[in-house]
Amino acid sequence: MKFVALVLKSARRSKRRTALTVLSVAIAVFLFSALRAVLDGFNGAAAASSATRIMTIRSTSMIFNMPVSHGETIRSMPGVRDVTWANWFGGIYKDPKNFFANIAVDPESYLRMYPEIDVPPDERRAFLEDRTGCIVGDGLARRFGWTVGDRIVLQPGIPYYGRQDYPFTIRGIYRTRGHAVDNQTMFFHWKYVDERSLVKGQVGWYVTLIANPDQAAQMARTIDQKFTNTPYETKTDTEGAFLAQFTAMFGNLNLLLGSIAAAVVITTLFVAGNTMAMSVRERTTEIAVMRTLGFQRRTIFGIVAGEGLLMAVAGGLLGVAIAKVLVNGENINTGGFVPPFGVSGANMAVGVVLSAFIGIAAGVIPATMASRLKIVDALRRVA
Amino acid sequence: MGLITSYNLRSMLVRRGTAAMTAMGIAMVVAVFVMTLAIAQGFRATLVASGAPDNAIVLRKGATSETVSAVLKPDLPIIESLPQVARDRSGHPLASPELVVIISLPRQSDNRPANVPVRGVGPRAFDVRDTIRIVEGRRFTPGLREVIVGRLATGRFQGLAVGRDIRFGSTSWKIVGVFAAGDASFESEVWGDVDLMMPAFQRGGYQSVTVKLTDPAAFDSFQAALTADPRLALKPARERDYYAEQSQTMTTVIRVLGTFVTLILSVGAMFGAMNTMYAAVAYRTREIGTLRALGFSRAAIVFAFLAESTALALLGGVAGCLLALPVHGLSTGTTNMASFSEVAFKFRITPGLLAAGLLFAGLMGAAGGLLPALRAARIPVARALREI
Repeated sequence: MKFVALVLKSARRSKRRTALTVLSVAIAVFLFSALRAVLDGFNGAAAASSATRIMTIRSTSMIFNMPVSHGETIRSMPGVRDVTWANWFGGIYKDPKNFFANIAVDPESYLRMYPEIDVPPDERRAFLEDRTGCIVGDGLARRFGWTVGDRIVLQPGIPYYGRQDYPFTIRGIYRTRGHAVDNQTMFFHWKYVDERSLVKGQVGWYVTLIANPDQAAQMARTIDQKFTNTPYETKTDTEGAFLAQFTAMFGNLNLLLGSIAAAVVITTLFVAGNTMAMSVRERTTEIAVMRTLGFQRRTIFGIVAGEGLLMAVAGGLLGVAIAKVLVNGENINTGGFVPPFGVSGANMAVGVVLSAFIGIAAGVIPATMASRLKIVDALRRVA
Repeated sequence: MGLITSYNLRSMLVRRGTAAMTAMGIAMVVAVFVMTLAIAQGFRATLVASGAPDNAIVLRKGATSETVSAVLKPDLPIIESLPQVARDRSGHPLASPELVVIISLPRQSDNRPANVPVRGVGPRAFDVRDTIRIVEGRRFTPGLREVIVGRLATGRFQGLAVGRDIRFGSTSWKIVGVFAAGDASFESEVWGDVDLMMPAFQRGGYQSVTVKLTDPAAFDSFQAALTADPRLALKPARERDYYAEQSQTMTTVIRVLGTFVTLILSVGAMFGAMNTMYAAVAYRTREIGTLRALGFSRAAIVFAFLAESTALALLGGVAGCLLALPVHGLSTGTTNMASFSEVAFKFRITPGLLAAGLLFAGLMGAAGGLLPALRAARIPVARALREI
């Protein structure tokens, strides 16, 4: 450890070069952490899903509806504690570009089964009492500058909801307590929409709360069997499996972002490794003198590798710090296509470990070069 | 100018290792740039290929895509009777009333369910969309529960081989053929008779009507005639424009992501180039002093060093393009946000894209080399000559 001072000294030798290297590692680690955070946002929603909620959709596809009578059938089955239902409304707020999820729900049972939706008690009461009321996520409210009491109008996006606009009053703004619900959604009364729908009694999906999470798969089968050979066959899955399908819709996102992240790391390896090699070459004479004075090969190796490690980790810390400040759902508007995300402690730890890896990998060759230097040759060299 | 530039380019060879490392850093950036934009290009090309220049698609007024559109059955003869609609030899109007519904089929790759569009088409669909070719089996027979499957869909989803049955819309359908559509998004779809699909999916009307116009220029009068008819609440679009717009959301997302990542990454690679060039200037201080003493101007020195770093970066750019090239033609899939269904497409690297990659590399080199080049020009001659 007594050589730390020496490592620091050699890092200060060319301040500009050290700064450039630290910055390029910082950029790489920043990018890496940001990409990881986005991926975690996608995967996290599925991972944080509830084990006791299972979801039922039409077996053909989600865009087909089921009759509302399925709800009572499911409720009467043993092992079922609660049932709620919802429908994708697909309404447009002023312009299709303002996309956000707006969902018609059975308000009382939905709020009961999704404790993740956190609404103050008085706003909750006001929402339940107002047939044309709605609640919106705090992220969505911020995006459009809405406050409680505002009137907003949605144009129906799906033909059977007719052509007339649907006015709503914002009765509450909710916050989320878990990944299963994002803060960019608008919920309103299923009844209000159903009254004006051209096709009555339509439900997009059912959510069933089951008593025993270990029986989720079995319950799903029981529900589906109940509706086989009816005109409205169903497909039931755990909430996690259901959400995972949405992630899969983007195609092989893991692979795409993963390869970009790999390219980021390799680029940085080239940059950092190059810098280290340059720095060793410049110091050839100096290193030879140190060896003459009796410094061991492995000490030289340690000093050169240590310098690489130091620069890389400094860059890594800077990178994760920037990522932590800049990358979160608040700053970046993805229009609801990407689940909310933020740089977590684990992302930051991975970033720093990665920078250490870059430092070591980039330093190995130059450090080996330095430690294998032939003293006589090196001393004879000019410049 | 030529002499000094060639001196600089040759000096690059002297420090091969460093030069190669710097170039490789830039190569990686260019490769990422080209590959992500190749996704956007491929996706867009696939959707745009779905539209023919002389076709028009008629949707409900205000509908942004087929899935949210509705065209009533009595509207069809009104549309067909318009004079701008082309006719075949026996005088039948070339119009195809269509319905698109989405079914869920397991993917072959990971057995996960994906949304596959099923399109019910009218009997004239093959004349309206003349790029459709049957590559295996035969066309479906109108009036029978038969379907044909797009070429890309057969490979991507389970159970879509000719001769097999698939179940959707509460009945089973026989697969009788596979069709190609010139790489268009139709190749990811399943086609059958619209008049059988409507009852199977409990629909009372069509979603869209695609017509072949007598002439691409006839679109304006077609549009005028259609919107002027008080019986209709419909809006036509040129088929090509319609599909280009469908690709907008996804291509924008991919482009923004790709550009964002590569821009940030390029700053890192530029720092690498800067390091290399600063070192190059430092090594050659004496040589630079000599050149200046011989009468080369400061501007010439700046130019030569800029040329050196740009050449270095271009080398990296070429390597990056070569790295990216193998993905060309690879097929992948993503969800078309506008129709909520999966579209298979191929990575598409165009000469323009490669040129953009090279330009990008050149810019990185020039930007990274500027400060070191200025520094080289500012070295006082007397001091530079004294250096060992």
